[in-house]
Amino acid sequence: MSPTTAPTAPTARPSLHWMRRTLRLTRTEFTLFVRYKTAWWILSMPVLLLVLTSQMPATEVLDGVSSSELTMAGMLGVTGVFVGVGHASNVFAARRESLVLKRLRVSGVPPLVIFGAATAVIVLFSLAVAVVMVGLIALMLGETPGDPLMLAVAVALNAAVMTLVGLLVTPYVRNAESAQMVSVLPMMVLLFMGGVYFPVDLLPSGVRHVVELLPVAPTAQLAQAAYTGYDVFGGQAGARRPASSACGWRRCPRWG
Amino acid sequence: MVDMTTTAHSATPDAPTSAATGGPAVVVSDLRQHYGDFEAVRGVSFEIRPGELFALLGTNGAGKTTTIETLEGFRRPSSGTVRVFGEDPHGQPAAIRERTNAVLQGSGLMDDLTVRETVDLARDLAARPRGAGEVLDMVSLTDRRAVAVRQLSGGQKRRLDLALALVTTPEVLYLDEPTTGMDPEARIETWRIISDLKKDGVAILLTTHYLEEAERLADRLAIMHRGQVRVEGTLAGVLEGWGDRVAFAVPEDVGTDDLPALEGADLAVETRDQALWATYTVRRGDVADRAHHAVGALLAWAGERRTTLRHLQVRAPPWRTSSSASPTAPPTWSDPAPPLTDRQPPRQPRRPPSQEPPP
Repeated sequence: MSPTTAPTAPTARPSLHWMRRTLRLTRTEFTLFVRYKTAWWILSMPVLLLVLTSQMPATEVLDGVSSSELTMAGMLGVTGVFVGVGHASNVFAARRESLVLKRLRVSGVPPLVIFGAATAVIVLFSLAVAVVMVGLIALMLGETPGDPLMLAVAVALNAAVMTLVGLLVTPYVRNAESAQMVSVLPMMVLLFMGGVYFPVDLLPSGVRHVVELLPVAPTAQLAQAAYTGYDVFGGQAGARRPASSACGWRRCPRWG
Repeated sequence: MVDMTTTAHSATPDAPTSAATGGPAVVVSDLRQHYGDFEAVRGVSFEIRPGELFALLGTNGAGKTTTIETLEGFRRPSSGTVRVFGEDPHGQPAAIRERTNAVLQGSGLMDDLTVRETVDLARDLAARPRGAGEVLDMVSLTDRRAVAVRQLSGGQKRRLDLALALVTTPEVLYLDEPTTGMDPEARIETWRIISDLKKDGVAILLTTHYLEEAERLADRLAIMHRGQVRVEGTLAGVLEGWGDRVAFAVPEDVGTDDLPALEGADLAVETRDQALWATYTVRRGDVADRAHHAVGALLAWAGERRTTLRHLQVRAPPWRTSSSASPTAPPTWSDPAPPLTDRQPPRQPRRPPSQEPPP
């Protein structure tokens, strides 16, 4: 070690606002995501599934809208299931195991900042993969989103809620490896029971009520509405139930 | 005489003069921590003033890390109080979290970042950061700044961990075995950095297995065993007060009045498990060989009486001294073993004198 002198006096600096801290940690999260090969594999999964879905037989379910188009549009609204549940649970479990979370906490970083930075990156990459998927849909079907802003909101909301679900998985897993295995179960349930592959309206009423309570149904329907331009909720009254469901899932952190 | 049984400490007579002007930065009072039925910390009390280093020594499982985690705010005390700058650290209130930092027992580093990126992140999140170059220079990692953390050696990771704690210019620093895994040169340099932090007025709580580390750095130290502080004071006081113990089962043909008096040793005779035991506690003389002289005198006495010292035990203070096997290995806390007075002696059935084997 170098024969340095005693540590010098620190530079005076005002206390950091939590938003600045979140943004700075988000920058590091972005770097880590880019360097993490498993994250890229998780990111490619919705794209691969979209390509497979495009091979499904298409029947017209709405005026000028085929079943495959509606399914693919719904998939945009559940992009966060892969990245949020799969990546977030894996990363939080790994960082807990390697004491990174504890390291951040003893350095004075509040839990909300740690979670906020992880969520921001997952939302960002979910939006990026949604752009790729929109491009593929446009190439395959020649259709572009009717309301891109609403679609972006659907993708971002889904990614944020799914990050919460990923966080909820971590108390029940021992390490990152088990997180990868255990998270597959909620991923599959949310993906296939969220109203994307099986239209909610066609399900028996009992099952429909359960499906509408899942956090993916509102965002999938929002994405379908944004892409096709149809009111898939059935007006304001019809939107009340998914909106309530989404609000309820916002309470996830309190349970975790 | 050092109190071997109580857990409390209140006065800090050995604290540096600079610390005497301010109140204690850390106050732990009768702290207890339970994990279910298991009590990991049992009534620990101490104070640390600015510019003072207080060391906690003890075996694995003694309760050192649990004590630190309570101070860091990760655990609410089962009972007792913990105060950092007069505040309860549980939940890490803003008034505390930017004034404290820690070197964890494990590294807690992001393997995919480089050394420089890791330090930059810590700086970005700190309210009053030191310069990255200055900190890297302090821990001699400047030439490794572009290397990924995963490629660092264990000792280099410990130095980087120390750097992260230094970046935030803490007023209270918790060091949980900070030099474990370091080579001797890096360990000595780390001690120098810690000494400099003390001079800057940082209140430091150090846990360590290395007696030499505590000897070099600590103003006061406490030895924890099974969740309790068994001895507390200055190092010299602890060494003086603990004493070496020589014990044996008193032969049947020897009365308690016949036991010899040894210079500088206190004799205690007690009946345990139907056997009579003599315990000499030797506190005077050179720490390195005072037990040797006591044993020599007792063996000579037994030889003269043509008797045998059954179950002869010698117990030095529970650490190894500089006679460690490796010249580079520092003295460490030894394997956990309760003091002699806590031990159950082996059953020794009394036999009539006629059946005693010849000496």
